[in-house]
Amino acid sequence: MSGRAKAMSEPILSARGIVNRFGAQLVHDQLNLDILPGEIVGIAGGSGAGKSVLLKTLTGLHRPDAGDVVLNGKSVQSLGAAEKASLIGVLFQQGALFSSLSVAQNIMLPMREHTTLPANEREQLAAMKLALTGLPADDGIKFPGALSGGMVKRAAFARALALDPQILFLDEPTSDLDPIAASGIDSLIRQLNETLGVTVVIVTHDLTTLFTICGRIAVLVDRKLTVDTADELMKSTHPWIHEFFHGPRAEGAMEARRTSHGN
Amino acid sequence: MRRPAATIAVSGDGDRLALAGVLAVSTLGEARRSLKTLSKAGASRSLDIAGLDDLDTPGALWLCSLRDNGVELTGVRPQHQSLLDLICRLDLKPLPKVAPVPRWRQLVVDLGAGCHDTRHGLVELITFVGRAASWTVSALIHPAELRPAAISRHIAETGIQALPIIGVMAVMIAVVIGYQGVAQLRPYGGEDLTINLVAVSVLREMAVLITAIMVAGRSGSAFTAEIGVMQTREEVDALKVMGIEPMQVLVVPRLIALVITLPLLAAFADIMGLIGGAAIAQVLLQVSPSQYLTRLPHVVSGGDLFVGLFKAPIFAFFIAVIGCMHGLRVGGSAESVGRETTLAVVKSIFVVLALDALFSVLFERLGI
Repeated sequence: MSGRAKAMSEPILSARGIVNRFGAQLVHDQLNLDILPGEIVGIAGGSGAGKSVLLKTLTGLHRPDAGDVVLNGKSVQSLGAAEKASLIGVLFQQGALFSSLSVAQNIMLPMREHTTLPANEREQLAAMKLALTGLPADDGIKFPGALSGGMVKRAAFARALALDPQILFLDEPTSDLDPIAASGIDSLIRQLNETLGVTVVIVTHDLTTLFTICGRIAVLVDRKLTVDTADELMKSTHPWIHEFFHGPRAEGAMEARRTSHGN
Repeated sequence: MRRPAATIAVSGDGDRLALAGVLAVSTLGEARRSLKTLSKAGASRSLDIAGLDDLDTPGALWLCSLRDNGVELTGVRPQHQSLLDLICRLDLKPLPKVAPVPRWRQLVVDLGAGCHDTRHGLVELITFVGRAASWTVSALIHPAELRPAAISRHIAETGIQALPIIGVMAVMIAVVIGYQGVAQLRPYGGEDLTINLVAVSVLREMAVLITAIMVAGRSGSAFTAEIGVMQTREEVDALKVMGIEPMQVLVVPRLIALVITLPLLAAFADIMGLIGGAAIAQVLLQVSPSQYLTRLPHVVSGGDLFVGLFKAPIFAFFIAVIGCMHGLRVGGSAESVGRETTLAVVKSIFVVLALDALFSVLFERLGI
C-alpha cells in the first residue's frame, strides 16, 4: 500500500483557486493546495479562520463559490457515492457515531452499503478495524453513549477506515483528549499512514500533532494558505505564523518533535 | 492506486499457487472462489503473492487466515510485509454476541419496567409540583425574587405570538361544531339550537381545551427544549454553582407567565369561537349577526364563561410544570432533549384532558 503511494508523484488531492465567502465576508481567497499520496498534512489556523469550512470543501460537503477540488483525478463534486466512500474517510470532531447503532454496526454500515460481503465477514472485518485502532472486541457491542472521549475517537477512526480509504480527513482528532490518549491517537495516525499508506489531512490546533507527525503544514491565515514544512514555517516573517510557531506553547511541542525525530 | 476495475488472478497447480493483481475488498470473493477451485481438497502448501500490485486490510486479513491454516506465503513485497505483519499481529477476537431475550420474557420485563417508570414518574411529578408551587409562592411573597423581564419575555413568546394560530383554530372548531349541529338537529326541526350548541360548547369546553392543547404543543415543548439545551451545555449547573436556584430563574418565570397568558388566550379563543358561531348562524341559519348578538345573552350564562376560564390557569400550571420538569430531567446527551420534549407534550396533553374530565364531573355535581 505504501508502495502504491510512493510510486505516484501526482497529487492525490489538488485544490485550485478555492474561494469561499459568507455574505460579504470573504473566508478563503484563491486557495491552492496539493497533497501527495502517503503524505500527512496538517491544516492549522486561528479560531474562526475557516479551517472547518476548508475541510468541508475538500471533502465535497461544501461547494466553494469558485475553484475545484480534484481527488484522485476527479472533481470531488462529480464522484459517485460508492467511489467517494472508498476514496475518502472522515473523522468528525465529535466522532459523529450514529447513536442508534452499536460501535460494530457503525463500522459495518459503510461495508453493508457499498460491498457485497456477507454478514459474518463484515463482523470479522469490523473486529479487525477495532483491533487496528486499539479497541477491544468487547467494545464493539457498546453504544456510542457508553464510550469515553478517547474511545469515541478510536471508534470513529475505525469507521472512517471501514472501506480502506486512500485519504483520511481528521477534524481535530486530539481535541478534548487527555495527553496520553492524544499521544495514542498521534501514534495511531502515524502507524496507519506507514502501514496502510493512507494519505492523511489533519485539521488541528494541537501543536504537538502538527510538529511530530505532519510532514507539511498548511497555515490558513489572512484568507490564504501557506504550505511548507514546520522547519521552513519557523523562519516565516509573517507575524501570526511567527507567533504560532514561536509562542510559549510551541516550545514544548518543538521539544517533542526533536525527541520523536531523534528516535 | 486502486483502479475501478481491479482484478485478481489465481494461477498454478494444486500445490503451488500464485496471486496476481489487486487483492482488495472488491476482489476478495473472487480470489477466494478461484483459490478453492484450484487447490482441490485444501492441498495447497504455498501461495506466491509477488504479483500482487495492491493489498488492502480485508485482503491482508484473508492472507493471514491462510497463513494460520498452514499455507506458506512467498514472494511477499516489503510494503505488503509491513501490512501483513500489522494485521497478523492483531489479537483478533470475534465480536461478542448479545443473547436475545425471549419475547414473552421481554414482555414481562417491559411490563415491570413500565409500572416502575409510571410510579417513579408520578412521584417525580408530585414532588416537582410541590417544589414549583413553593418557589412560586415564595416569589409572590417576596416580589424582589420575581424576574419581570423574564416573565414579560415568556408572556410575549407564549401569549402574543400564539394569538393568530389560536384565533384561527377557535373559529374553525366553531365551524366544525356548527356544521355537525345543523346536520344532526335539522331532522328534528331544531337546527336553531345550533347557536346554543356552538356557544355553550365553545365557552365551556372547546375554547379552553383547544388553547391548552395548542399551548402544550407550542410552549410546553419549548420550555422543555430551552431548559434541556441549557442542561446539556451545563448552563443549569453553572447557575447552581453561582448560587442561583434554577427553580427560581428558569421555572417560576415560565410558570407565572403561562398562568397569566393561558386564561387570556382562552378568553380570546372564546371571542373568536363566538365569532365563528356568528358566521355559521349567518351562513347556515340565515340569522344575522345583530340577531345573533341579541340571542347570545339568553343562550349562555356567566356560569358557562366561568367554567371555561376557571380551568385555564390550572391547565397552564400543569403544562408549565411538566414542560420545565422534563427540561430539567435532560441528561448530558443531545438526543435526550428530543425524548424529553416528546414525553413532556404527551404527558401535559394527557393531564389536561384528564383534569378536564374530572372538572366535567365536578361541575355537573355542583350544578354549575
